[in-house]
Amino acid sequence: MNNKHLFTILAFRNMKRLLRDYLVYVLTLMLVTALMYAFNSLIFQDDLKAAIGTDDGWMAFLLVLAMGFIVWILAWLVRYMMRFIMEKRSGEFGIYLLLGMKNQMIFKLYQRENAFLGIAAFIPGLFCGILLRELLLAVLYGMLQIDYRLRIRFHGGTFLVTTLCYAGCFCLAMWHCRRKFRKMNICSLINARRQNEEISERHQKAKQLLFPISVLFLLSLRRMITGLDNMGKITLFLICLVLAIYLFYMGLSAWIVCYIRKKGAAIYRGQNLFLLRQFASKLSAMQFTMGTLTALFTLALMGTTIALMLNAYQTTALVEKAPFDVQLYNADIHKDFSREFALIEREVPIAKSHAYHIYTDGNDQVNVWMYTHLETWGAMFLKEDGNPDLEKIRQEQIAYCAYDTYMRLSDYNALRLMLGYEAVSLGEGQYAVHLKRRLHREAQNIGEGLEILDASETKALQLAGIYDEPFSQDGHNGGDYLIIVPDAVAARMKPYYSELVVKLKGVAPMGLSKKLEALSVEEKETWQSEYDVLYSACGGSDNFFNCAVANLVRDNALSAAKYMLVSMMLPMVYVGLVFVCVAVTVLSVQQLSDSAKYRFRYDVLWKLGLNAAQVDRVIFRQLFAYYLCPVILAIVISSMVLSVSRIFVSITGLSAPYGVFFLYGTGLFLGVYLVYFTLTYVGFRRNVSGRLYTFSII
Amino acid sequence: MEAYISVYDVEKYYGKGEMVTKAVDRVSFNVAQGEFVGVMGASGSGKTTLLNLLAAIDRVTAGHIFYGETDITELSDDGLSDFRRENLGFVFQDYNLLDTLTIEENILLALALQSGAKQEVQRQCDEMLSLLGIADIKNKFPYQVSGGEKQRCACARALVNQPKLILADEPTGALDSHSAQVLMETFVELNTSKNATIFMVTHDAFSASYCGRILFLKDGNIFHELVRGTKERKLFFQEILDVLSLTGGIYYE
Repeated sequence: MNNKHLFTILAFRNMKRLLRDYLVYVLTLMLVTALMYAFNSLIFQDDLKAAIGTDDGWMAFLLVLAMGFIVWILAWLVRYMMRFIMEKRSGEFGIYLLLGMKNQMIFKLYQRENAFLGIAAFIPGLFCGILLRELLLAVLYGMLQIDYRLRIRFHGGTFLVTTLCYAGCFCLAMWHCRRKFRKMNICSLINARRQNEEISERHQKAKQLLFPISVLFLLSLRRMITGLDNMGKITLFLICLVLAIYLFYMGLSAWIVCYIRKKGAAIYRGQNLFLLRQFASKLSAMQFTMGTLTALFTLALMGTTIALMLNAYQTTALVEKAPFDVQLYNADIHKDFSREFALIEREVPIAKSHAYHIYTDGNDQVNVWMYTHLETWGAMFLKEDGNPDLEKIRQEQIAYCAYDTYMRLSDYNALRLMLGYEAVSLGEGQYAVHLKRRLHREAQNIGEGLEILDASETKALQLAGIYDEPFSQDGHNGGDYLIIVPDAVAARMKPYYSELVVKLKGVAPMGLSKKLEALSVEEKETWQSEYDVLYSACGGSDNFFNCAVANLVRDNALSAAKYMLVSMMLPMVYVGLVFVCVAVTVLSVQQLSDSAKYRFRYDVLWKLGLNAAQVDRVIFRQLFAYYLCPVILAIVISSMVLSVSRIFVSITGLSAPYGVFFLYGTGLFLGVYLVYFTLTYVGFRRNVSGRLYTFSII
Repeated sequence: MEAYISVYDVEKYYGKGEMVTKAVDRVSFNVAQGEFVGVMGASGSGKTTLLNLLAAIDRVTAGHIFYGETDITELSDDGLSDFRRENLGFVFQDYNLLDTLTIEENILLALALQSGAKQEVQRQCDEMLSLLGIADIKNKFPYQVSGGEKQRCACARALVNQPKLILADEPTGALDSHSAQVLMETFVELNTSKNATIFMVTHDAFSASYCGRILFLKDGNIFHELVRGTKERKLFFQEILDVLSLTGGIYYE
């Protein structure tokens, strides 16, 4: 048997031992491989783009971007684990050196072991990835409401990209380790083992101050975020946030140590002293890793929550934005839409239609009220004395038309009936307001600030009610609002622009909106209008997604919008999931390794009189605190940061408050967390209790 | 002398079928309160197994062990845990101090597990620290002190709950000769001043010479017993060496 063969056998046996000792790490590598394969395959999913009728590379671009993050985090994990395993096996490497093996030989052995380990995780991961890809595509097509037939396929391009990414991470980590191996000597290996056992407790009194400081900083995050209005402040804020996360652990560890030194009452009760010391010692030794894990958890939690918000948006709010099958705008007030009508009828049967005008009285009192009363605008359009800044409003016109928008009651009821809503009646001298639902609460008092005159322009009308059903208010039926007036009152106003709404008997074919757009361009030169809303901002205050297009065909617009949202959502879920898995793997591996190395601690507790159930409880409490700490911190930070996303809710009109999405996101996140926690707890108990009843000192 | 601990026909077998190993084979003896008993024997003679049985860490295959009126072979697992906590103190060759706790905290933990009042726990801990002469290193971690100091800390932890019996397994095994001597003098001091009952397993004839009585184990049986009585320690040491030479093993540390 030659040396090379012997080496391969040794490497293979060591790999089997690594597989057993670091099962959580191997499972994570498998999971990440499966996710990488499944998500990378979407980059090559051309038939999806064809089904949506888009040829942009938006989803591919975002997935490649996400892949960058994944490769980065995977490379970090592999490097971390290689160094971790190296440290744990320092004694073994020392023996190899003592036996006369050269550093280079040991490195090659280690390289082979890791290559075997990587391949052992990659191959099953790839098979899982092929299955996961089908599942992912089924979900994705389902979200986009496109039929999909499950078919197990292997994609060469995806395989190549995944393999390159995966192998690249391992090569990079190997390259880092190579330098460590070069510097390795017997003395440093022995010292490394001794250093592991030392606990440094210098300057704890000073360090404990970092705890309240970082907590104060983290608690005031929300306040600080609202004041971030330039890049300088944002950069400074991010630096302080990262520092606060890392210093939190240093401070907490020191704070616990000081508490123990001060002989706080809790240390005299049961196993608290043991647990507190274990926790403080671990935090102190792992403060950098814990900080990094917290950052990963925070990003994962935020990604998942935002993805859930996007999902809710696409399934609820987006559909409400375009309640009519087809809605056409034209600035020409004499437009009869006959050509458009004919075009639509050629494509798909029409069930119902209604052409009408939006009117204006040439004033902007409602616009001014909206600019000065909605939360979205804050004090943007208010002077220092609290009065409306009319000059700024009229100059900027960022959300509403130049003049207020009105609709005749007869047109309003015709549209309501088309949408299946009940007709509205207005009494003598009354008007109504139709708002986007999300503005209803804010605009409760709109009637007190407006003076809408009757047909004779002598008497003010009274507000009869506010309605908030989905009504296409991204510019077609006004931006955010419409004032509904009796037909006689509208008669004294000027038509502002023309609209046509159509109810179809089937699904609008792909490309109908483009055909209608072509007609508009063709006609553009043939008319002149006093007001052209198409080129002014009438879209309302929804900044996230606005349906302010002249020719709005719901089926076409929603497919494209959903594709865009799903393109943003999937990479977030992908990155979030991988970040959580990687972070929890590090926690698990740390704890399981400690359970093997320090099981004598639990032996001692047992000999001091704790029974097996009590030792189990100690392990549970220890793991619980250790797992809980970074996750609690991440939840606090991300909830503060995400509180800003209330703006998302307010600008999109999502019905559920942001906290609901955050709770769902946290729930998903904790689900993954729980799986790893359980695996670790079971493994930890097995490692420790395997020894409890075999008392062998000599 | 009245028996404080009584061991009756204790047997401990390992394995099954034809592979049975008799680690302890029908051993009987008594230990009186305040006695300092040593157990000697070659490797594999059953010393540690016997200690484990007395320590309620392992269960007998047959026989009984009485601590006063209590037969520990009849206790449940939880009962044994309570018994260990309330009645026994351990001193190990490798100290078994918790490395994340300071010297003082190692002793405090043993007290805290008994759930006493804060002031009382602290008073007992301070008393033990000064009795064992380790008060000045109480805030140090185990890795910062010498082997002898670690072992004295282990003794303090074993004693702090005033156990009925201190079980010591090769307590001088990892110590230099001076530290070993100091430790054994400490044991004698505890034995005489505190009336502590000590049961010590050792290879080392020098350490054994501090005991009041020595049981010699061979193949799981007690084959000889030496009582020091009023003899000088040096003479007793010589007697131990003589017994060991007869059995084919002389142990010098």
